[in-house]
Amino acid sequence: MRTAGIDIGSITAKAAVVEDGKILGTNVIFTGYNAEAAGVKVYEDLLAETGLDASSVDKIVSTGYGRNSVKFADRTFTEIMAHASGANFLKPEVRTIIDIGGQDSKAIALDERGKVKNFVMNDKCAAGTGRFLEVMARALEVDLDEFGAMSLRSDAPSKISSLCTVFAESEVISLIARGEQRFDIIAGIHESIAARISAMIARVGLTEPVMITGGVARNAGVVAALEKKLGVKIAVLSSAQANGAIGAAILASSL
Amino acid sequence: MDGMTEFRTIVDQPYEYLQKLKNRSGKKMVGYVCSYTPEEIILAAGAHPARFFGTKRQIHLADSHLQSYSCSVVRGVLEEGLSGRIGFLDGMVFPHTCDSIQRLSDIWRMNIPFGFHLDLVLPVKLNTSSAQDYMVDVLKKFRTDLGRALKADITDDALQKAIQTMNAIRQSIREIYEMRSRNPRLMSGADLYTLVRAAMIMDRERLASLLAQTVSEMKAGAARAAEDGSLKRLVLAGGICNHPDIYPMIEEAGGAVVWDDFCTGARYFAEPVSEEGDPVSGIAGRLIRRVVCPAKHAGLDRRARHIIRLVQEHNARGVIFLLFKFCDPHAFDYPDIKKSMDEAGIPVLLLEIEDPLPGEGQLRTRFEAFLEMV
Amino acid sequence: MSEGNSEKEKRKIKSEKKMRDIMTAYYIDAKTARQNNKKVAWITSGGPVEPLIAMDIIPVYPENHGAMIGASKMGVDLCEKAEKMGYSNDLCSYARSDISCATVNGGPIGGLPEPDMLVCCNNICGTVLKWYEVQARYFNIPLFIFDTPFCHTEYTKEAKRYVERQIGEYVAFLESVCGFPMDQDRMKEVGRVSFEGQKLWQEVLDTAVHKPSPMTAFDAFFHLALIVTLRGTQQTIDYYRGLLAEMKDRIEAGIGAIPREQYRLLWDNLPIWYRMKWLSQKFAEHDACLVADTYTSAWCGAMKYIDENKFLDSMAEAYSRIYLNIGVDEMANMVIAMIDKYQVDGFVLHSNRSCKPYSLGQFDIQRIVEKERNIPCLMIEADMVDERSFSESQISTRIDAFMEIIKDRKN
Repeated sequence: MRTAGIDIGSITAKAAVVEDGKILGTNVIFTGYNAEAAGVKVYEDLLAETGLDASSVDKIVSTGYGRNSVKFADRTFTEIMAHASGANFLKPEVRTIIDIGGQDSKAIALDERGKVKNFVMNDKCAAGTGRFLEVMARALEVDLDEFGAMSLRSDAPSKISSLCTVFAESEVISLIARGEQRFDIIAGIHESIAARISAMIARVGLTEPVMITGGVARNAGVVAALEKKLGVKIAVLSSAQANGAIGAAILASSL
Repeated sequence: MDGMTEFRTIVDQPYEYLQKLKNRSGKKMVGYVCSYTPEEIILAAGAHPARFFGTKRQIHLADSHLQSYSCSVVRGVLEEGLSGRIGFLDGMVFPHTCDSIQRLSDIWRMNIPFGFHLDLVLPVKLNTSSAQDYMVDVLKKFRTDLGRALKADITDDALQKAIQTMNAIRQSIREIYEMRSRNPRLMSGADLYTLVRAAMIMDRERLASLLAQTVSEMKAGAARAAEDGSLKRLVLAGGICNHPDIYPMIEEAGGAVVWDDFCTGARYFAEPVSEEGDPVSGIAGRLIRRVVCPAKHAGLDRRARHIIRLVQEHNARGVIFLLFKFCDPHAFDYPDIKKSMDEAGIPVLLLEIEDPLPGEGQLRTRFEAFLEMV
Repeated sequence: MSEGNSEKEKRKIKSEKKMRDIMTAYYIDAKTARQNNKKVAWITSGGPVEPLIAMDIIPVYPENHGAMIGASKMGVDLCEKAEKMGYSNDLCSYARSDISCATVNGGPIGGLPEPDMLVCCNNICGTVLKWYEVQARYFNIPLFIFDTPFCHTEYTKEAKRYVERQIGEYVAFLESVCGFPMDQDRMKEVGRVSFEGQKLWQEVLDTAVHKPSPMTAFDAFFHLALIVTLRGTQQTIDYYRGLLAEMKDRIEAGIGAIPREQYRLLWDNLPIWYRMKWLSQKFAEHDACLVADTYTSAWCGAMKYIDENKFLDSMAEAYSRIYLNIGVDEMANMVIAMIDKYQVDGFVLHSNRSCKPYSLGQFDIQRIVEKERNIPCLMIEADMVDERSFSESQISTRIDAFMEIIKDRKN
């Protein structure tokens, strides 16, 4: 059975095609302002890239914030289910998932069968999300993709304590003015995200092994800060960003 | 080591100090979070009262117990408890004040493994005879509860002695405030802040003698120093002030803080305890007469009148309110107090603060602008 | 998903109209009190209203007014007005909207009738104390504070003595404002009627034990108005008798509150007044019925402390030990008892920015519930009146995910 998953997030749209327990391909594009068009494009590009025909795909599941704007999907699931399913497919022993997306971060606890036991999401504000990092990257005039590598150079991360994105931004600006090193500030930002996430983890309970998914997983600095804060090793798969789409495709195979 | 250096060391490293004090004196350590705590009763039990103000660290453990819309003091105190950093405490006392401290008490009791936990459910209104009687009753209950928790006999004699010590401390701090009000150059605002903060942490006997020494040194200095008429005199008001940095910012902008209405400031030393009669009734009497916290009711305009009186008595040009974000009692009082201040022609600056402070630049600009205005 | 009009009609609670009529008449009465030489007291929702009824004073509830402001989606405008007056946007949205409403006579009913006195009981929060101080200054009228010491772990004998003394002070206060003494027989009668009303309200809520439940918590939020505002009147008894009979008929006829009740949920904290319909539809789409809540049962949760024949004396303890005036661990125990009683599959907690005594401690309650009963819990971050604290897409996703877990577990 060949199935597809489409994950429309607030910043990026992801697609994956899976056949009998094998990933045939994944794709990531920016969502932009039109979630519906992004859903069509990310899927069509993937089909073109893999040379698959739309008619050969049996079932499609959509997930993420824009899940309801994917008109060609057979069913929708929330990203909590999709990430759990993706993690369970790729690494069945995982018991805790940290998913840091554009506007939401989540801690998901899985039971022995890989089913969702419990989840916690950030409150309404953007602290501890990908959006928070974007704002900080702008304030620091550093490309977000360089954040991870830069922060790993720091031995003395700056202290960022504001919970609020707007306050944290002005805190960062005053750190720059005080002449603190950019890599220290970035490391401090990562520590502040790790502190937020670890509080969510405490609410669902930390059980190893732990895996991180979502776009922010590509940021090695955040992962290192989280590992330090939680005192555990965190698995990062190369497919972390597409994990929700892969999970959605897996969910589609049991429709 | 001179007095100020000693105070500074204690404020910089309070836990190290308290741990050492505990080891050296063998005294039980009793923590608290609110200025309505009857320190005299703790002292009379042979224990040491130490106040906690929040945390200097990043808060994360407390975030899994308290929502982001509770104030940084409550979240910070819980963080210190959960982290075990104040595990040297033998117990914690929670006087009933605001809704947030009320729930902090429950969460503490349910989650903190070390030490005893005591509630002291004070009356919320202070201006009726039944409330005043209840204040006495509940302090008596506290005396019994604390004695049991500490396995100590709290005698009237010990209470009288503790009252005398605390009255001496209050009197000394008051004198220091008054000398500084006459001539702010005698002691920097940051030093005053440090002194009062240390007072709530350190051994009270040692404190009493250090303060007496500071008072006599200041008196000698006062005789020599010339008064400076150019300073713009200000009063600070609010709840807890955890921000020594604001004093130099105000001073560099040409201002001087001559008095305050802070829970961690003048409210701490306000009013002596009567040394006549039943000691517990005396302590209750002080808590009833004292400058009121907005979480308590002592009439409809007592706080506004008090702040206006401070401005007049200390010849101040304006008031800066430092209000903690998510501190409901203060936030409710502010608009009507502001109105009273406007009517009295007193300029007011409001700063909503959180631990840590916003960027220094932002604050400096506001202080300078306010001082240009007054 | 959708059902025909006749189905919808069948599911509609018929007593609703009567309730609207009673509330309209009540507010007309209150608004014309002055013409009829009657006094008006503003009182907090958990306050001892029975002595007011016995003295023929019309009680008016700013909190009920706050709920109406929220439900009619006028909260944001009034909250913003309060913010312009200097009130921080972190303060309780009931208080904010009431404070600004008093100055502009806005809101859904053109403002509340002006009070002759204020009665503030702090058994629900410390916020009401500050709020009523503001109003006492604004209207320049007498304020009575009924101080119920918080019962973290116990109702102490010291507190008992204090609260009981205040009952005498309260009666004296009312007598001095009204200028005539209280009729003790009338007071006894009002006490009995109040007790009877609470008993009936509990019986109404108890009908939700039945599967399918004849009512939802959203219905309870609506029908609650009388036990809050007209507690101690015969009208309340008559109304709840009718409502109870209707619920029993529905059970008899197998009429559930939602079309297909597959999953049963418990709600914690105040309603999100401006999103009641959206939330009830959202849960109904998942075949989930919110059968009970911790909020509406607060008005009959302390009945065990009342002696209906000695109401005035026993109300001291009953008003001191209501749901919000007790420790978090005792609240968790009550939640667990409700989970068992109503046989629910999941627990929804509204983390309400406006209400610290209700919300701080919810994380611990959630942990206890998960440990003791192992059911999924969902926390929704919002506010009861201020829509600016509500994010539809975030909450929608959370509810969907929560229901996916519940379905997954049950099937």
